[in-house]
Amino acid sequence: MTTYTICVFTENTIGLLNKITIIFTRRRINIESLTVSETERKGISRFTIVIKHEKREEVEKLVRQIRKIIEVLAVFGYLNEDIVYNEIALYKISTPLNGKSVDVETINKVYKAWVVYWGLDYVVIEKTGTETEIFDFFRYIKPHGIIEFVRSGRVAVGKTPQGLIEYLPEEITEWEYYL
Amino acid sequence: MGNLLEIELKQETLVTPAQEKEGQTFLSGAQAMMECLLAENVDTIFGYPGGAIMPTYDALYDYIDRINHILVRHEQGAGHAAQGFARVSGRTGICLVTSGPGGTNLITPIADAIIDCTPLVCIVGQVKSNLLGTDAFQETDMIGVTTPVCKWNYQITDPNEVPEIMAKAFFIAKSGKPGPVVIDFARDAQAAKMTKPFVYKKVEKMVSYNPRVVPKQEQIEKAAELINKAKRPYILFGHGVLIADAVQELLDFVEKTDIPCASTLLGLSAMPNNHPNYMGWLGMHGMYAPNVMTDECDVLIAIGMRFDDRVTGDSTKFAPQARIIHIEVDPSEVDKIKKAEAPVIGDAKEALKMLMPLVKKGDFTGWKNEFRKLDVKEYDKVTLRDLSQEGKIKMAEVVALLSDKTNGEACIVVDVGQHQMVTARYYQFKKANSFIASGGLGTMGFAIPASFGAKVGAPDREVVGIIGDGCFQMTIQELGTIAQSGLAVKMIILNNNFLGMVRQWQQLFYDNRYSFVELQNPDFITIARGFGIDGHTCSERETLSDSLDKMLESKKAYLLEVIVEKEENVFPMVPAGTSVSEIRLE
Repeated sequence: MTTYTICVFTENTIGLLNKITIIFTRRRINIESLTVSETERKGISRFTIVIKHEKREEVEKLVRQIRKIIEVLAVFGYLNEDIVYNEIALYKISTPLNGKSVDVETINKVYKAWVVYWGLDYVVIEKTGTETEIFDFFRYIKPHGIIEFVRSGRVAVGKTPQGLIEYLPEEITEWEYYL
Repeated sequence: MGNLLEIELKQETLVTPAQEKEGQTFLSGAQAMMECLLAENVDTIFGYPGGAIMPTYDALYDYIDRINHILVRHEQGAGHAAQGFARVSGRTGICLVTSGPGGTNLITPIADAIIDCTPLVCIVGQVKSNLLGTDAFQETDMIGVTTPVCKWNYQITDPNEVPEIMAKAFFIAKSGKPGPVVIDFARDAQAAKMTKPFVYKKVEKMVSYNPRVVPKQEQIEKAAELINKAKRPYILFGHGVLIADAVQELLDFVEKTDIPCASTLLGLSAMPNNHPNYMGWLGMHGMYAPNVMTDECDVLIAIGMRFDDRVTGDSTKFAPQARIIHIEVDPSEVDKIKKAEAPVIGDAKEALKMLMPLVKKGDFTGWKNEFRKLDVKEYDKVTLRDLSQEGKIKMAEVVALLSDKTNGEACIVVDVGQHQMVTARYYQFKKANSFIASGGLGTMGFAIPASFGAKVGAPDREVVGIIGDGCFQMTIQELGTIAQSGLAVKMIILNNNFLGMVRQWQQLFYDNRYSFVELQNPDFITIARGFGIDGHTCSERETLSDSLDKMLESKKAYLLEVIVEKEENVFPMVPAGTSVSEIRLE
C-alpha cells in the first residue's frame, strides 16, 4: 500500500464535501485523513485527502473523476516524497499532585512539543509532525496517562518552486492534475 | 398554528420597501424561472404538479401560450419523455415536478440520463427554506439523493439566484459530456419577489468547468500518424458521434480513409446501415464480425464511445493487440477501461474535422472482405433461423418487416430486453438519431414515455416504440399522457409472455431454472382502448404485414400487440465477463 496525498481546489459551495467523498465511497477507497479550509483566494477551498492504495493507475482514475465535479477547479495527487506535510496533535496528560512530573525540557527539546495549557491536574501538550513523530511522542508520554488524544488531518504543500494556486489561472481552460 | 400560517403567507407576497418606493415590482422566483426557460428557447416541459412546486405552476399559467406543458401520469414518465425528446432533437429536456415523491420518482430517469449522456434540466420543488432539514411534509434531501446520479445540482433558496443558476444549469446540461442537472427550488424562493430587475445572461464557460471542444493539434497529429500507418484499422463509434452532431464528419472520414467501422448500441443510426464500410454493431448481443474483428485489427479508432463492459466483455482480453486512438470529450473516460496510445480530448465533430486533412486516402477492400466472410457465418447460423418464417412469429421478422415498411427512416424507441437487441439487429437505420434506447442503465419501462417524448421532439417523424410485454407494464399509465396529447405515437408490443432476456440467461447459465420470469399478462388492447388508444392483436404470420400497415397508417396513436414465439433466444451472445472471442452463435 502506498500513501497518496490528494489536493483538491474547489469553489466554496454547500454540499461539495459530499460530492467529493462520494467518489471515494463508490470506488471503495477509505479516506485516512481529510482537511478542508479556505485558501488565500477567497471563495476557493482546498481539500487535502490522504488515502492508501496499491495501484497508482486507480488513483489516477480517482483524481480524474474528482476533477469532473463541476465546482472542482484542480486536483493534484502526490506521493509522500513530493510534498512537505504535517499534522498537529493534542495530548491531554494526567498530572495528579503526587504523580510523576512531566519532563518539559525533554518534551520541548527532544520531541519539539509544547505545553499549551496547564490545568489543575492535567496539561495539554501540542505537537506538530508527521504521523510517525506524533506516535513516537505518544509512546513516550503514554506512561503519564493520556486522558485524551486527538490528531488532525494532514496539511501539505508541494515541493515545486511555485505554489499550487499558481496552477489556477483566472480562467481554467484545461483540466490539470499531477501525479 | 394559525398564526404561523399567516406569517408565512405574508412572506410569500412580501414586497421590499425599495420596490414600493419606486412603484416597481420585480419578478417572483417562479416568474423568473419561466423567463429563464424562454431565454433558453424552451417550448416544452414534461411535468407533474404538487404542493411544493405550486408557485411555479401558477407562474406557468401565464406562459401557456409560449411553453407547452405536458402533464404526465407519473414523474418517471416525465423524465423518460424528456430523455426521448432530448435524444431525438438534440435539445435539452425539461422536467418540472414537486418535492419528496415527485423528486424521488424522477431518480431513475436522472440516473438513466447521466449514464446515457442525455441533457436534462430537472426543476424539483422543495419545501420552504425555513423548513429544510426538519422532515417537513414531502421533504426529501434532493441534493443528497441526486448527487451520485446527476451532472450538477443546486438548491435555490433566493429568487435573485434564479437567472444565474439557470444559465449555469443549461450550460452544464448541454456542454461537454451532456447530462442531467437538478435544480432544487425552495417554495419560498419560487413565491418571493426578486429584489432587482431580471437579467439573463447565457453562460458559455465557467471558471471551474470549461470542457475542451477543439482537441490539441499534437494529439490529432499523433492519431493521424497511427491511422496512416495502420494495415488493419477499425473504427468503433458511439453515442458521442450523435451528441456532437458529427454524423456527416464521420461519413466523410470513413469514405476518405475507407476504414471499416462498427457502432456501439447507442451509436446506432449515426451511420446508414447500408453503407459499404458499415460492418454492424458490436457488444454482448451485437453482430459476429464486428465483435470478433476487434481481435484482428492493428489500430482501433474509438470515437465517442467509452468501452462499456457490454461492449468489451472482459476488458483485459479486449483488443489486446490493438493500438488504441480514443477520441473522447470527457478526459476521465480516457484510460479508464482501455489504455489509449493516442488520446484525443475533444468533441467528435471537431476532432474528425481536424483529422480529415491529415489522413491518407485508403483502400481496405481486402480487410473489409474479412468482415464480410464472417458475416456469412452469422447469416447461416443466426439470421436465417431468425427470419425462417417457421413456427410462431419471431421478433426478428416483425422488426425486419417494419424496417422495410418504414424504409428504415422511422425513429425507433425500444425498451430493455430481447426485443431491444432484436430491434438493434434487424432494423436497417438510414437516418441519424433514429434509435433511442436506455443503454447504460437498462431501464425497463423506458419506451412508452420515451417514444412519446420523441414524438413531441420530432412530430413530423414516424415514431415507433418497440416494447416487451414486461416493460410495457412498468410505465403503462403513460398511455394516458399519449392519449391526452393526441400525438400519433405507434407502439408495438412483442409479447412472448416472458421476461425474455432473464429467461434466456436462466436457460443458458442457470440450468433452465425459470425463476419468476413468466407473466400472466392483461389484455393490452382493452387497456389501451380504456385509455382511448386504438389497437389490435396479431398472432398469425399471414396477418402480420396488414397489421403493421394498419398501425403505420393510423393518424392517431396506435398499439399493435404481436404474439411471438415464447422461448426464442437472442444470438450472437458474448456471455457476461468473457472475452469477445468466446461469442456464441447458438
